Amino acid sequence: MSTHPTTESADRGLLADLPRLLLLSVFALLILAPYIWMIAVSVKPQSEVFTSSLSLIPKQFAAAENYGKVFAQVPIGLYLLNGLIVCLGILAFQIAFAVPAAYALAKLEFRGRDTLFAFVMLGLLVPVQVPALPLYMAFANVGLLNSYTALIAPFTISVFAIFLFRQFFKAIPDELIHAARLDGMGESSIVWRVIVPNALPAATAFAIFSVVAHWNDLYWPLIAVNKGDYYTPAMGVLAFRSQEAGEDYGALMAASMLVTAPLVVAFLIAQRRFIEGITMTGLKG
Amino acid sequence: MSIEPKFSRRTALGVVGGASATVFMPAIARANTAEISVHYSMPAIFKEAQEAVLAAFTAKNPDVKATYVNPTPTYEDGAQLILRGATTNQLPDVSFQGLNRLRLYAERGIALDLGPLLKEEGDLEKLGYTKPILGLGFHGGVQCGMAFATSNPISYYNVDLFKKAGLDPDKFPTTWDGVIEASKKIKALGDGIEGMFFRWPGDDWMFSALLYGHGGRMLTADEKDVAFNGAEGLAALKLLDRMVKDGGMPNYAGTADLQAFAAGKLGMMFRTTAQVRSISQSVGTNFVLNTTLMPVIDNDKGRLPTGGAGAMITAKDPAKIKAAWKFIKFATSAEGTTLMVKNTGYVPTNNLAIIDPSHLADFYKANPLFQAATRQVPLMIPWYAFPGQNSVRVTQVMVDNLARIAEQKATPEVVLADMTTEVRKLIPRAG
Amino acid sequence: MADAALTDPSARAKQRAPARADTSGTVVAWLLSAPAIIAYVLMLLAPALAMLMLAFTDFEFGARTFRWVGFANFAEMLGDRGAMAAVRNTAVYVLFVTPISIALGLLLAVLIDAGARGRTVFRAIFFLPVVSLTVAMAVAWQYILHPNIGPLNAALRMFGAPTPNWLASSEMVMISLGFIGVWENLGFNMVLFLAGLTAIPRDLYAAAEVDGAPGAWSRFWLVTWPMLGPTTLFVVTITTIRSIRVFDTVAILTQGGPNKASEVLLHTMYVEGFQFFRMGYSAAITMLFLAVVLVLMLIQTRLIERRVHYG
Repeated sequence: MSTHPTTESADRGLLADLPRLLLLSVFALLILAPYIWMIAVSVKPQSEVFTSSLSLIPKQFAAAENYGKVFAQVPIGLYLLNGLIVCLGILAFQIAFAVPAAYALAKLEFRGRDTLFAFVMLGLLVPVQVPALPLYMAFANVGLLNSYTALIAPFTISVFAIFLFRQFFKAIPDELIHAARLDGMGESSIVWRVIVPNALPAATAFAIFSVVAHWNDLYWPLIAVNKGDYYTPAMGVLAFRSQEAGEDYGALMAASMLVTAPLVVAFLIAQRRFIEGITMTGLKG
Repeated sequence: MSIEPKFSRRTALGVVGGASATVFMPAIARANTAEISVHYSMPAIFKEAQEAVLAAFTAKNPDVKATYVNPTPTYEDGAQLILRGATTNQLPDVSFQGLNRLRLYAERGIALDLGPLLKEEGDLEKLGYTKPILGLGFHGGVQCGMAFATSNPISYYNVDLFKKAGLDPDKFPTTWDGVIEASKKIKALGDGIEGMFFRWPGDDWMFSALLYGHGGRMLTADEKDVAFNGAEGLAALKLLDRMVKDGGMPNYAGTADLQAFAAGKLGMMFRTTAQVRSISQSVGTNFVLNTTLMPVIDNDKGRLPTGGAGAMITAKDPAKIKAAWKFIKFATSAEGTTLMVKNTGYVPTNNLAIIDPSHLADFYKANPLFQAATRQVPLMIPWYAFPGQNSVRVTQVMVDNLARIAEQKATPEVVLADMTTEVRKLIPRAG
Repeated sequence: MADAALTDPSARAKQRAPARADTSGTVVAWLLSAPAIIAYVLMLLAPALAMLMLAFTDFEFGARTFRWVGFANFAEMLGDRGAMAAVRNTAVYVLFVTPISIALGLLLAVLIDAGARGRTVFRAIFFLPVVSLTVAMAVAWQYILHPNIGPLNAALRMFGAPTPNWLASSEMVMISLGFIGVWENLGFNMVLFLAGLTAIPRDLYAAAEVDGAPGAWSRFWLVTWPMLGPTTLFVVTITTIRSIRVFDTVAILTQGGPNKASEVLLHTMYVEGFQFFRMGYSAAITMLFLAVVLVLMLIQTRLIERRVHYG
């Protein structure tokens, strides 16, 4: 239990640091357990997935078969590209819509603010399955199914984004906004020229949550798309699931690896920004 | 038409063996082409079969242009696709659905009654459509659909464990008493080895295997009251109870039984034949796997439920209906069913393909594990589809109650009484 | 955005106190919120309300018509073993996952923050479950928790400990799902706490030391924990919302079984509506879900307000 400030402990001897690292490693192993199995299975032939021994290393290396099957049966590259388009599209709208609203909720006092915020909280609670069917019917009526629009539009509003950005904007000093007002800036240029540049870390943080959710979405794409190649990455994994005939574990895990890997890479890149982003959000209740 | 589809068509025809190559899409036929869209579920199983059927169909019927919509991952997703589509006129023209759900679409006015179309065909036996085969899609007086790929429950067993336990692997028990005895012996091997698992969770399918096996039925003939609450139902539940009590059957959730079996830790498993392919892949050369008939309960009255997929017509336009019917007729013809069997291992649904060995004899010789299910064809009766708005919910009530026996939390008598009360509440009552 | 005209008249007033609740300020605020409000109404509120209206009908999925049935669906719910089990199990799950995943998340964050070694690696590892696909992970969990061949029971057997039937026994199933839930949420909370920790001014620790709190333990309770107050509030809210929506793991691993022992609200809602096709009843369950969540949020806000005041 050591709560040393970082700077002090950075140069602590390895020996003194060992208990901490050991404890973290134990936790890390517990967290990683399912992934270790997942990676092992993705390179095993089906006959070695379940055996009486707990061996992780395949006797017969089947990576080529499993990954090959994924590439042969699903246009996984296309799905990844669709994922990129859809996730970025969703993200752009979410930020464009949520930022001004969050700013108003955080920094402006106006009639109806509490009501508006109550609706934001309410929105946080509604599960995706609830609006799905009416939305499907609406999209069908205007002939928008099977398109990127159908995949993006329902998620253009993110109450979570409003919630998160509001939290973040509250921490931005009022002086900054005052100064901008003194310079004769209107509220909406304050939003885009003062707040947004300051909000980049928070946006990164939100981006991770948003992209993860829609990259991995197994629900809406199945509803919005029944023809054509608009599926997003997670759907590539579903192609290898079959409750009735038994799972093709190798291909299933190989597909999962291919779908998850880009997200892990993205997280590693965005990591620092991400933590900073939440840091400032957490500053003020 | 590009080169590619032609190529795949040719390979598909090669499989059929011998259909002439002259049918390559003469340009003349394009004038009055009907276009239909076809939907199916579980591409992991059916993709190859469906594509082979479509290729062979297109080669023979250049006047119909059939295309697939994106297949749905499960029967459930497939059901949702159709029900959603029904509210917005987004339906495909043909859909392959779980056999036990066909009735639900007919009751909602989504699936076309195929009775009149069949009538126009004349002698149905000549087409290979026997009464039992047609019966798989016939519910409440309506021909809701045509069985396409069927399955029935079979016995899987680990030959190595049989030998180890001193049992004769060539004489798999033909009665449940024998199975329970064998299970005890296998379990006695220790080392975490289990004797048997009867796949009761998931849905009511395997329970109906026990019920039908005793000659029982789910509801009365007029469908106004439960009928499983008699002697047959009680015997079915008592049998399940004995599997647990005497046979030492473990309680497995999800696909845990498949995993234990593949790992060589489970002696016998009673499940759908649909899994033969994936189980033999999972087993590989780890041990010798064999399949055989289900143990017999009642020699005369005993029957088995039929799982699998059936095709229904969801089109409204007469021209499309005509084209859709052509497609379904082909998919369920001797030729279509042969393609289906070769690509999936499911049980054939056309009597011509069953009785004439020229279609499938070679296949079964090369794939003996698939034989068990086909030998049980005479026992197959429809997987009962409950009437009314609670048709699917009823099945969950049964599974929940079976869980009480599996966990030994209630006696068969109590469970049967509760199940009767709960199911009665969910079926449409007489006015 | 041509906004100069909008704000100029009130700009002077705002210089003193930021954006008072005057009329023009209100107009600006609503204008800024307009895109979000429109999207909210179109994509969330209206469809959700349309769906909830079905709670008073006997609408079946795929049917062409429906009848108004008043409160019949709610009446049915009271006598429905499944719905009641779902309320109970959801509560158990939230009460299990929220505190444990928050406590462990905090522990990990403090451990990571206490040194520079391995920071990036551990951060990434613990966050991994958040970015992963539940379908794939659930399959992995199914294997790990397998009663005969799973590595967990193999390990327990080595120590001679009892080997529970994790997913198939009514007594164990919620605990197993709860642990998976902790595993899923842990990294998320850790990241939030890490952020909170970074924001604590370093001189506070030095001051605490001067004041006679030399041990790490007392420093934690004197400085870290109170300073994390706002972060904790945020984490508690988010984790509660995330865990109350438990669905994927139940749908894949147990389907609510055995005999409703792991039935949770969103799973019941889904199964009733999309597997049993009883949309009206499903909508009624959704109403129940929203009511439960609202009550929970109210209680939580009350409790936390009290805490943060003295914190």
